[in-house]
Amino acid sequence: MVENNEVELSEAEAEQYDRQIRLWGLESQKRLRASKVLIIGLSGLGAEIAKNIILSGVKSVCLLDSEKLKEIDLYSQFLAPPDKVGENKAEASLQRARALNPMVDVTSETKAVDDLPDEFFTTFDIVCATGLKQEQLERINNACRDSNKKFLCGDVWGMYGYMFADLVDHEYSEEIVQHKAVKRGPDDTEKNARETVSITVKRRAIYVPLQNALSADWSKPELRSRLRRGDPSYFVLKILFRFRDEYNRNPDPAKRKADTEILLKMRDELVKELNLPVGFVSDALLTDVFGIVAGAAAVVGGVIGQEVVKAVSQREPPHNNMFFFNPVKCVGFVELYGQ
Amino acid sequence: MVARVAGVFDEKLTEAIANSKILVVGAGGIGCEILKNLVLTGFPQIEIIDLDTIDVSNLNRQFLFHKEHVGKSKAQVAKDSALTFNPNVNIVAHHDSVISNDYGVSYFKQFNLVMNALDNRVARNHVNRMCLAANVPLIETGTAGYAGQVELIKKGLTQCYECQPKAPQKTFPGCTIRNTPSEPIHCIVWAKHLFNQLFGEEDPDQDVSPDTADPEAAGDAGASALSSEGTATGNVERKSTRQWAAETSYDPEKLFSKLFGDDIRYLLSMENLWKKRRPPTPLTWNNLPGKDEPQAQHSGLPDQRVWTVHECAQVFASSCNALQADLKSRADGDHLVWDKDEKSAMDFVTACANIRAHIFNIPQKSRFEIKSMAGNIIPAIATANAIVAGLAVLRAQAVLRGELASCGSVYLRPKVNHRGQLFVPEKTLTPPNPKCYVCAPKPEVGLACNLKQLTLKDLTTAFKDGLNMQAPDATVEGKGLVVLSSEPGETDHNNDKTLEEIGLNDGCALLVDDFLQNYEVRVRLQQEDEEKSWRLVTDSDAPMPGPKEDEKPANGSNGSEEPKPGPSRSRTRADSDSDMEIIEEDEDETTVKPPKRRRTEMSDEIVELC
Ligand SMILES: [Zn+2]
Repeated sequence: MVENNEVELSEAEAEQYDRQIRLWGLESQKRLRASKVLIIGLSGLGAEIAKNIILSGVKSVCLLDSEKLKEIDLYSQFLAPPDKVGENKAEASLQRARALNPMVDVTSETKAVDDLPDEFFTTFDIVCATGLKQEQLERINNACRDSNKKFLCGDVWGMYGYMFADLVDHEYSEEIVQHKAVKRGPDDTEKNARETVSITVKRRAIYVPLQNALSADWSKPELRSRLRRGDPSYFVLKILFRFRDEYNRNPDPAKRKADTEILLKMRDELVKELNLPVGFVSDALLTDVFGIVAGAAAVVGGVIGQEVVKAVSQREPPHNNMFFFNPVKCVGFVELYGQ
Repeated sequence: MVARVAGVFDEKLTEAIANSKILVVGAGGIGCEILKNLVLTGFPQIEIIDLDTIDVSNLNRQFLFHKEHVGKSKAQVAKDSALTFNPNVNIVAHHDSVISNDYGVSYFKQFNLVMNALDNRVARNHVNRMCLAANVPLIETGTAGYAGQVELIKKGLTQCYECQPKAPQKTFPGCTIRNTPSEPIHCIVWAKHLFNQLFGEEDPDQDVSPDTADPEAAGDAGASALSSEGTATGNVERKSTRQWAAETSYDPEKLFSKLFGDDIRYLLSMENLWKKRRPPTPLTWNNLPGKDEPQAQHSGLPDQRVWTVHECAQVFASSCNALQADLKSRADGDHLVWDKDEKSAMDFVTACANIRAHIFNIPQKSRFEIKSMAGNIIPAIATANAIVAGLAVLRAQAVLRGELASCGSVYLRPKVNHRGQLFVPEKTLTPPNPKCYVCAPKPEVGLACNLKQLTLKDLTTAFKDGLNMQAPDATVEGKGLVVLSSEPGETDHNNDKTLEEIGLNDGCALLVDDFLQNYEVRVRLQQEDEEKSWRLVTDSDAPMPGPKEDEKPANGSNGSEEPKPGPSRSRTRADSDSDMEIIEEDEDETTVKPPKRRRTEMSDEIVELC
């Protein structure tokens, strides 16, 4: 849980954060200001998440990436300048990330996640991981979970994207607005005089780790019935994780044709394995998963950024536990897996 | 250059992007995000237009701007910042209003697509008409707090921005503001009017002194008795507040005594008003509540503390002095414009609103809260803008690909709906409203008014405010007689004549057109003796705009659901990225009815009718 240190906001903070304080309140802003965030993976999605979180006014953001900036990053990664291709992605992003909000302490880390001990991850209040393999995500998730630290992960492939959240045992407050008719006096002739009363309720949400969510048992009838909703986004994620595990990379725009074939074959295997209806995971979703499309990174990065704000400010119900963006239908939805 | 790495998009889209030219209208919260996405994706030719300059309160979301840019042109700085992401694209920035003869139909025709990232209805209506006239697809966006929307508008294919009349909102009668306030907002509106009376552009519709014509006070002997005494205390009624203030050299104590003492006593003399109401309590400068009270313990922002009446009076005095000095330093005839971000102006309104609230036993508010209400602030955050702009650019890609039919509106909800959806797409396009008075093949609308009273000047206002025209011309159908001309001076001599006097009668039709918008509408005049002003009438059941309506923000977070007054008269833009439509879904999962839609919007103006 992020502590709310009782130091009041400075005038400069109040001024800069005015429009959001009017939305989520001063208490949330104070909690944000006390929170330390780690962002793993400085692709286009990582840059979007970093931008949103730095703008919100957290205490500190650490950008972690061990890879070098490539040409392909440039059409979604706006924090790294084009002339820094070949340099470390996290370091190349530092200057612009800091300029977004000088009140936030932004640092970089260039070690690979596999070379960092568990204790590294648990020095942060919340970890947002992108671009990793499933087992790497599970390891960090479990390390966070053991220290009661919050974990989010997400990715964008082409126009498709997802987010997963494990906020462990999360307490939050939710404002519920009620309308009631009021009379202001015996002479009140305004029939529709209304007053809104907002009450704040405390709630609690229990989360499961990533491995539970990704190993959901589709033979169970309660999950089976979800197929009727007809959205294959969960399975697309499974296929893309398999691709990443097997080939140690993402589908490559330069190999668009060959990789599409591999993806479709992986799809067929998964459909068989889970006994899914034929044609359920249509080709359409698997043909636009190359590179990172800027618009999709903005969409998924916006959702993840907002979930970080909700998680650390402990205000408003956070998503539990998977969000998918299906670009074919332009729908974004939340489903609970693994519970 | 386009989609810098081949294979990200299929060939068709790669090609369509390479040959595209896009106009982005607005470089605020959503505009910055849209521009970033377009530039990164490799859209080669972009123009961006915004007349605004950068304010420090923009920096929490308009990420192309930094502290050192405050005061500079949004369009220009947005262009410069975005070019650093991809120096290979061509961006043209216009620090200008989109409502201008420089951006006519032929200007709009050069674009494949227009993307709106605006914060006010007037400009949205205008761009809507320009895109209809130029037959260019328009992607319309908006956010308010956590919520947002993206909508495609294409002539003949979808409804236009004006197909569904916007719901008229609650308005405040002038007598409520001047005589019998019962809510904080009434006092805030009064305080803003007072600002204009003293320092701003004088407007007879914004009188702040007691209104003797209040129908409720009719036959009040007390009032007439007191009004004869009025001269002794500075001629309460006859002299303008400004003139009186100038004669007393804006002495804060004298102003205070008139506004919060004499005027209140005058109101008390209108006894009918207080038969069922709790009467107000006049204040005297030397004996104000809270004078000797120790300051209460306060946690939170300094602006969130509610001042005592004594403090209000002190702030009243200091802000009066500061504003008067400002006014004095200006050229003769110049005036101040109220601005929520101007310290003295905001202090003045806070102090006056709270003193008046105290007098009328209305709860007092903090400067923070009054700023929201008086300044019409819709909260805005980076994430909602990022999501909406991301969806808008994905929609833009689909439009360029020619997949318009799949581009139904998408709503970003503040919370997931019962189906777990956070972004809710409409499955089909909403077809145009055949009775729309803007996009129908032969637009037509009724104007209900009292022809014996409505002047030609009022008619111009009706066309500008009601039909959102910029420079209307009107002729009588079948006769070709010019009633109104947008050429300066041509019909001005008729301004004060009533419609009846210039020979217009019930059932008469006018052809009204706006050259810039390339928009013509047939207006049927309907005589209604009861109508005090004017009202638009269509065949649909939906309520239509009336004069100077005030609108509500899409979500009144922070507890404030009251209509928020904007700067009256002047069409100042509201401070937000807002103006949106919210979807209200049927919670019953079995129904397949399309969701009910409600356009909720925010205000440009405040209205008063008595
Ligand atoms: Zn229309």
